[in-house]
Amino acid sequence: MKTNFLFPYRFKKVSGILFVISFVLLALLYIIGEFGTFEFKAKVFSIAGGSGLLGDEGDFYWLETSITDELLMLLVIPSGIIYAFSKEKFEDELLNTIRLNSLAWATIANYTIILFGYLFIYGIVFLNVLMFAMVSQLLIFIILFRYRMFRFYKTEGNEERY
Amino acid sequence: MKNDIKVQRVILNLTQQELAEKIGVSRQTINALEAGKYIPSTVLALKLSKLFDKPVNEIFELEAND
Repeated sequence: MKTNFLFPYRFKKVSGILFVISFVLLALLYIIGEFGTFEFKAKVFSIAGGSGLLGDEGDFYWLETSITDELLMLLVIPSGIIYAFSKEKFEDELLNTIRLNSLAWATIANYTIILFGYLFIYGIVFLNVLMFAMVSQLLIFIILFRYRMFRFYKTEGNEERY
Repeated sequence: MKNDIKVQRVILNLTQQELAEKIGVSRQTINALEAGKYIPSTVLALKLSKLFDKPVNEIFELEAND
């Protein structure tokens, strides 16, 4: 019985590796900050906003800026989505239930964290909360679901025939 | 909901793994079913019913709090 759409299992490993690498690089980029040491500059199309926080050169124009973080985000989000929503080696309905349940809890946990950040973090530091919110739900879901699957695969079976 | 999948499985002399393979689920699912931790879909219940050659409502039974 076909129930829901998931990416094929063969994408799982490669997207997982890609996600971890690009996520670590993205985190490093923000920890180091001031993208000084490694940056790719390119002309990009801006719908709104300019370079720098308050830069505003108008709307719909071409802008020369660093695209290191854009490139990494372009890796993190698609690889994360594919990794999170690709099939397990053996799919069955209990696994689907676990996946849905993890997704619900990840959403609740994610918004709890964001709300907490919204209430207690102010000023420019709040930008960090917004950055975190870009990938947090995906990240929390992946961690939660992998943990549940780890426990699922470890379940002791009762193999006696009696 | 109660079920007697374990009893039926023993009657057929199958392990959890063998039963799982016969109806196309993982061993963990059979384990969760027998422990009463998971309520199967209608499709899975009908597959079990076919394999055990028993009506579904003889394998599964409602409890007071259902």
